Amino acid sequence: MSATGSPSTCVKAPPSQEETDSLRAQIFQRLHPRTYLERFLTENVRPDGRTFDEWRTVHVNVGSISTADGSALVRVGDTTIVCGIKAEIAEPELDRPDDGFLVPNIDLPAICSPKFKPGPPSEEAQVLSDRLNEVLISSGILSLPSLCIQPGRAVWTLYVDATCINYDGNVFDATLLAMVAALKNVTLPKASFDEETGRTTCSRKTRAPLQLQLSRAPYSASFGIVDASQPCVLSDPTSFEEPLLDTSLSVIVDESGNLISVSELGMGASIEEQTILLECIADAKKRGLQMQKLI
Amino acid sequence: MAQSAFDRRRINGPEESFSPVFDDTDNTPQATTRHGRSPADIRPIFLQPGLINQANGSAYIETEKTKIACAVYGPRQSKTTTYSEKGRLNVEVKFAPFSCTRRRAPLRDAEDRSIAVSIHQAIVSSVRLELFPKSSIDVFITVIENDGLEGCIASGSIAASAALADAGIELLGLVASCSVAVCGTQLWLDPTEDEARASKATLILACMPALGNITSVWQSGQTNIDEAARCVEICQERCADIHSIVAESLLQSAKANLL
Repeated sequence: MSATGSPSTCVKAPPSQEETDSLRAQIFQRLHPRTYLERFLTENVRPDGRTFDEWRTVHVNVGSISTADGSALVRVGDTTIVCGIKAEIAEPELDRPDDGFLVPNIDLPAICSPKFKPGPPSEEAQVLSDRLNEVLISSGILSLPSLCIQPGRAVWTLYVDATCINYDGNVFDATLLAMVAALKNVTLPKASFDEETGRTTCSRKTRAPLQLQLSRAPYSASFGIVDASQPCVLSDPTSFEEPLLDTSLSVIVDESGNLISVSELGMGASIEEQTILLECIADAKKRGLQMQKLI
Repeated sequence: MAQSAFDRRRINGPEESFSPVFDDTDNTPQATTRHGRSPADIRPIFLQPGLINQANGSAYIETEKTKIACAVYGPRQSKTTTYSEKGRLNVEVKFAPFSCTRRRAPLRDAEDRSIAVSIHQAIVSSVRLELFPKSSIDVFITVIENDGLEGCIASGSIAASAALADAGIELLGLVASCSVAVCGTQLWLDPTEDEARASKATLILACMPALGNITSVWQSGQTNIDEAARCVEICQERCADIHSIVAESLLQSAKANLL
């Protein structure tokens, strides 16, 4: 990139054979991404050197942000997500006097990829936030009445905010893992409600973790299907592969291996579709077990 | 924190919510000592260029609690239709909602912009914008954790300059930046949030130590000219050290890329 259009004064040595080859491959990748990917797939390998069913390594780091009540940093390959949870106090809804609030949001800022522009949340961010909200609520990992301080008067609101720092595909899996890891890391101060003043005060000394239903903790595994000469199921797609997928599939399982949600977008691969789906679910369960060990 | 309007692009919580009030908030002691740091000590700097592979250049900086990620995209085609002979340098700063003691609602406020302007000022004169007609260079900064605005601006400028260098954009020199707080008769370098709050004046200096040029000075609060000059002097001295850290980390990452 640095060489484009810069009127550099130094004389550059002519590029070696190796350099021209890699440059040609790069240009081919930009101009014909689909053909580029298919040529790899016919050799049973993916552009980043993984086999079809290989997952990228996951790193998890929890509790590194002191301004948050709970936090986690997750790296899936190069995809990096930071999730921080801030707890605030609010009045509950009138029809649900015991229920606290769980407010998950993902931000895809312009820093993480050239795809995104500064400004309000992109469509992709809105869709991801909505899916994450649905999964966290339907999994039942956190029962909302456990956030109650005083019925009808004061409840905890957990703002679960995730920010993407590097967007290299499969952001959904990474974000869900970051949110679950951050929820496990949350400690709330002991709060007491004063009936006379109507105020809630917290103690700085005693903090307690959330009462989570850990057996219900959701773990997501995403796959992409490319209909090349034969349908190829790629686990954990990268940002290069994602726009080229014919079908994308997300399977969410909980800690005891129960299915929470399965979503399939795009055209399924004809007759074999059902066997593919079953294989993906089995694979997702294995992946879920691996991820549990990390957090 | 009251939200001004219902935002259908995000998942919304309750209409109003408040940060917890602690029973001992009233008697938080003012910072009078530096918890084991001498006045001239700065917090240790961890700088890692090239962490964000989607960007043309990037840098991550950590000085104890302050954590900032910075990415550079460009030079790329400028969105504006008017012809410009010089490139444009855009700086955008974003605070993660969980980065401060109080939650920052995701709507943009004035603080992001004033920090962006300060960082822009610190680095703009180091970039050879005359080499990039009709293009723009976008510098995006995300503050993951904030411990003092002064440190945030200083670290942000260092990260931005390192990211520009990592992107291979021609610079006149690397920018190093340092802040100082005037506390009583002492000058505390690189103050934390508590220390800055206890001070009567703060000063942030950005300079290019390789050329001996100052790119930006920002002073606020009450002080006199002699003291301000002394602040500039000690900041400049420390910037020379910071410069060698930045240069070393860029060299390390360039070497690692060659292997």
